[in-house]
Amino acid sequence: MTRLVETIRSHAALIPATAMIGLFMIVPILIILVYSFLAPGDYGGVKPEFSADAYQRLLFQRDLFDQLVFDPAYLKIAFRSVWVAIVSVVGCLVLGFPVAYYIACQPEERRNIFLLLITIPFWTNLLIRTYCWILVLRDTGLINGGLMKLGLIDAPLTLLYTEGAIALGLIYTYVPFMVLPIYAALERLDRRLIEAARDLYSNRWVALRHVVIPLAMPGIIAGSILVFIPALGAFIAPDLLGGGKNLMLGSLVQLQFSSARNWPFGSALAMVIMAMVLICLYAYARSSKKNGGGMVH
Amino acid sequence: MTSAIGLTGLQKTYPGSPPVRALRNADLTINDNEFFTLLGPSGCGKTTLLRLMAGFEVPTAGELRLFGDDIAHLPPEKRPINTVFQHYSLFPHMSVLDNVAFGLKRLRKSDVEAKRVAQEMLDLVHLSAFSARKPDQLSGGQQQRVALARALAPHPRVLLLDEPLSALDLKLRQSMRAELKRLQKETGITFVFVTHDQEEALAMSDRIAVMSQGEIQQVGDPATIYEFPRNRFVAEFIGDADFFDAEALGGTGYKLANGETLIGPETEAGIGSKVTLFFRPEKATLKRKGKGLSGQVADILYLGNSTDYVVELAQGGSLTVRSENHKDGTAIADVGSDVVVDIDPAAVRVLTT
Repeated sequence: MTRLVETIRSHAALIPATAMIGLFMIVPILIILVYSFLAPGDYGGVKPEFSADAYQRLLFQRDLFDQLVFDPAYLKIAFRSVWVAIVSVVGCLVLGFPVAYYIACQPEERRNIFLLLITIPFWTNLLIRTYCWILVLRDTGLINGGLMKLGLIDAPLTLLYTEGAIALGLIYTYVPFMVLPIYAALERLDRRLIEAARDLYSNRWVALRHVVIPLAMPGIIAGSILVFIPALGAFIAPDLLGGGKNLMLGSLVQLQFSSARNWPFGSALAMVIMAMVLICLYAYARSSKKNGGGMVH
Repeated sequence: MTSAIGLTGLQKTYPGSPPVRALRNADLTINDNEFFTLLGPSGCGKTTLLRLMAGFEVPTAGELRLFGDDIAHLPPEKRPINTVFQHYSLFPHMSVLDNVAFGLKRLRKSDVEAKRVAQEMLDLVHLSAFSARKPDQLSGGQQQRVALARALAPHPRVLLLDEPLSALDLKLRQSMRAELKRLQKETGITFVFVTHDQEEALAMSDRIAVMSQGEIQQVGDPATIYEFPRNRFVAEFIGDADFFDAEALGGTGYKLANGETLIGPETEAGIGSKVTLFFRPEKATLKRKGKGLSGQVADILYLGNSTDYVVELAQGGSLTVRSENHKDGTAIADVGSDVVVDIDPAAVRVLTT
């Protein structure tokens, strides 16, 4: 009995964290998992009867004769989502790395100002910020209007409601998530290592490639994960900038819970997204272990 | 003798208010195949000079030549000069072998060739067994030797060493001195060594440049620097010295501030002019009686191989005499005992400035 008390006491400090994770992470995931195996209610919600239909629907469709036929529609959506998420990661990396490098090279006081500037977009609602891109990208928007006034084009370019617009919106939204971890890695980087590389016959670019980037790799990977995960499940940018024309996984999930009223299918999709993310993380963990503590060569 | 590095009126001023004149006006020639040391206290400009040679800084004015070619404005990667950094700066994400091969690969040597030369360099510093390790798996002394191998591998024309021994403990430092000397002889590369440790400088260098406040105070071989320092700064910075203000009496006689007369070397200083005399404490002899400056032992500092005796002179003033102990290890005088300090005229140096 006393031993039990001892054990409880020694673990008491862990209770808030455990409760927090349990309540706000494990329980919701379990609810989604359970929902994904139930039948859809008529007006949303679920009926308490077991059904694997939701998962079946991911790949198969019932035809007129009630036969299961392979239907790649959702698979295509999943691939498109992964593709757009990858493009977003690459875009964020290309934009974010130079920014992070620039900030890390500034004197200490100025760095903090720049970091504050990076976080400023978060002060405005995401919906409004994404909506602004419509004003920029649409046929009568800033870009098309400007180009037409300059006489560079005769007819407006199709910018809005494309996959490119979605990727642009996602890059815009998530680039701070890329900048911050890369900055953290670069700030720790010993500048004298760059001098050592320069001394050993490397110009700026060669030193960047062989010393700076490899040493910033943990930050680059952390940033990529931080961008990839929300980009995969995002629905605001795909909805507003993609016009709902090209469905993405995130929009699809949102649709199932709202207008389509198929909660089990939405839950199943959410589980699939989570599984995809976990597989990616596992692959990363495996590869970094092989290469010794997150360092990539 | 060919000059490896030539400086003419080289200056470096860092902007600011007031601007920092890190290097004021350096004229210097470093010979090929020489072990040359830049010696001075921190902030004397020796590191600035080294960084100018390496190409990490651009001079404000003046010329910097490498075997006759002006290199003052070449970026570091275009100079056949390599550096051993004070904190080694090994690439933590590469194996020891890759670190050493780094410069060779950048010089577009083939992978096989780079690895072969790198392995040879590791042999040279007795670390061939560690080639697959990461730098953080090595001790400080081993990292030091990897840094050396890495800088030597591309066979630079000049090797710069920035206080490379300062982070090592005493025993290791002493063995590394011999090692550096050996490497310099074996490779025939000109070494420019920066240190604030005078003992290190005297032990290893062919020639030394003593620096202070951004200026080169004196250039010479270790014995000249130690025996005939040109000014008080050099005399004080290298080794220990007893200084006296004195008045030249003409010929070899000098009148000390306390009224006593000391015989020294002949000087051109005019009769009655003020001079500074000094001698090295180990060049004076402590006696029980006889001729010399009489006084009383005020303090004793036991140094192991010798002992410092601080003598209060009877006529005023004090000086330090360094003396070997008796063969049985006992001191030659105790605190409070009356002694006579005999200073050989040949040991006395005269500074007229």
